[in-house]
Amino acid sequence: MNALLSLSNDLAAAVERVRGAVVAVNARPRLPSTGVHWRRGLIVTADHTVRSDEDITITASDGRTVASSLVGRDPGTDLAVLRVHDTDLPLADLGDPGSLQVGHIVLAVGYGPRASWGVVSALGGRWQTWRGGEIDQLMRLDLTLYPGFSGGPLVDVQGRVVGINTSGLSRQLELAIPVSTVVRVADELIDKGHVSRGFLGVGLQPARLPEAFRRRLTGASEIGLLVVNVQPDGPAAKAGVLLGDVLVTLDGAPVGATEDVQAVVGARRVGSTVTATILRAGAPAEVSITVGERPPRRG
Amino acid sequence: MPGHSETHDIRPGIDGDLTAITGRLRRITVQVHGSSASAGSGVIWISNGLIVTNAHVARGRAAVVLPGGRAVEARGLAWDPEHDLAALAVDADGLSAADVGDSDSLRVGDLVVAVGNPFGLAGAVTTGVIHALGPRRAAGPSFIQADLRLAPGNSGGPLADARGRVIGINAMIAGGLALAVPSNVVARFLAPLRHGAATVS
Repeated sequence: MNALLSLSNDLAAAVERVRGAVVAVNARPRLPSTGVHWRRGLIVTADHTVRSDEDITITASDGRTVASSLVGRDPGTDLAVLRVHDTDLPLADLGDPGSLQVGHIVLAVGYGPRASWGVVSALGGRWQTWRGGEIDQLMRLDLTLYPGFSGGPLVDVQGRVVGINTSGLSRQLELAIPVSTVVRVADELIDKGHVSRGFLGVGLQPARLPEAFRRRLTGASEIGLLVVNVQPDGPAAKAGVLLGDVLVTLDGAPVGATEDVQAVVGARRVGSTVTATILRAGAPAEVSITVGERPPRRG
Repeated sequence: MPGHSETHDIRPGIDGDLTAITGRLRRITVQVHGSSASAGSGVIWISNGLIVTNAHVARGRAAVVLPGGRAVEARGLAWDPEHDLAALAVDADGLSAADVGDSDSLRVGDLVVAVGNPFGLAGAVTTGVIHALGPRRAAGPSFIQADLRLAPGNSGGPLADARGRVIGINAMIAGGLALAVPSNVVARFLAPLRHGAATVS
């Protein structure tokens, strides 16, 4: 058998292997998106394609359409989990995220099935989306994500799912959310219905840093954040942060606005540690704060 | 292999296969200067000079440039705008003809190769995969949809599988997808002609 034919057979077999677990998600006007049967009765899709929380249906690969309900959504990582009660659909096989390399041939699969192919164009480190979520690894693809492909699987030539495709996290780039992030976020959505956002438990207000202090500490911006409120027994209080401290850097990055703190902490996992440089009584000090969970919003 | 007379590329591997298939497809692909201002492509379907192209590329007489570069006049044999197919005849014999595949056996994900004259660049090759099967719209004619880059001038040219068998005639670009008339639709289009030829001879 020739090598090209062998590759062609592998690609077609990869689509065949995953297609049973690929569904159409009908949760927005006109254009369905794609979802993946991730765990028994649970469908993962792209959050931005789920416009309504109600009247969602799933069309399986055999053409049957069944009612579905929203389990939870995380706009930060653009992932949502749906529940279906009709659960004789096959489950997707997950690939080993660590084995994926730049240049590997991959297929994006949409409901139907429909397919496009290309290669893994670039792999990067942990990154934060414009929606404030944390993705474990940047996965940039050289392939076309056709309309309706968001929420669908990116599969390797063995037909194992290595990511969830989405056009909702970048206008320019074709991206996939790696399996490790999908597992983490989906598990949390299934357990709690929402994804915990990191939280320090302090009230902050911008304050100009003394010139003398800035000269002593590299990496400080002109503005620091004055601690004007410390939540009793909150993460910052437990780490010894006091009213009147001035927060200067978080994990080495200067914080000149409260948004900077939210950007660092909001994306961090609950239980992870951030290192803060503070100005206390005119001298710099370092404290390690264990990130807590932001209390759910009321109302 | 000692005494091997083949001169074309026999390198092993994917690139060797691809260059061999491209070479074979180039030998069956013609340029068609028909009714429209720009040149299209065509496929030598039968070695006696039967050429298949798109209805929108040629209706009736057309000037055809054969793979060797020889320009010949072609006359129209049949024209089907609904399926965007046209059959032309040129006075030539012993031409390399398409090895025609079965378009009903295609699977989503299968590798496909297109050769044509995009923007007048003769013999250009692009590769992709089968995107979807079945009609693009419920009511419309059935096209093969491929995740593959085409350009004007590819129209009428071959879409082939990984064995180099022609499984479609490239017809249009829609939403970034290549749409091709399935080879089995081409066979049905040609059936009356071949039947007619059989009764005459």
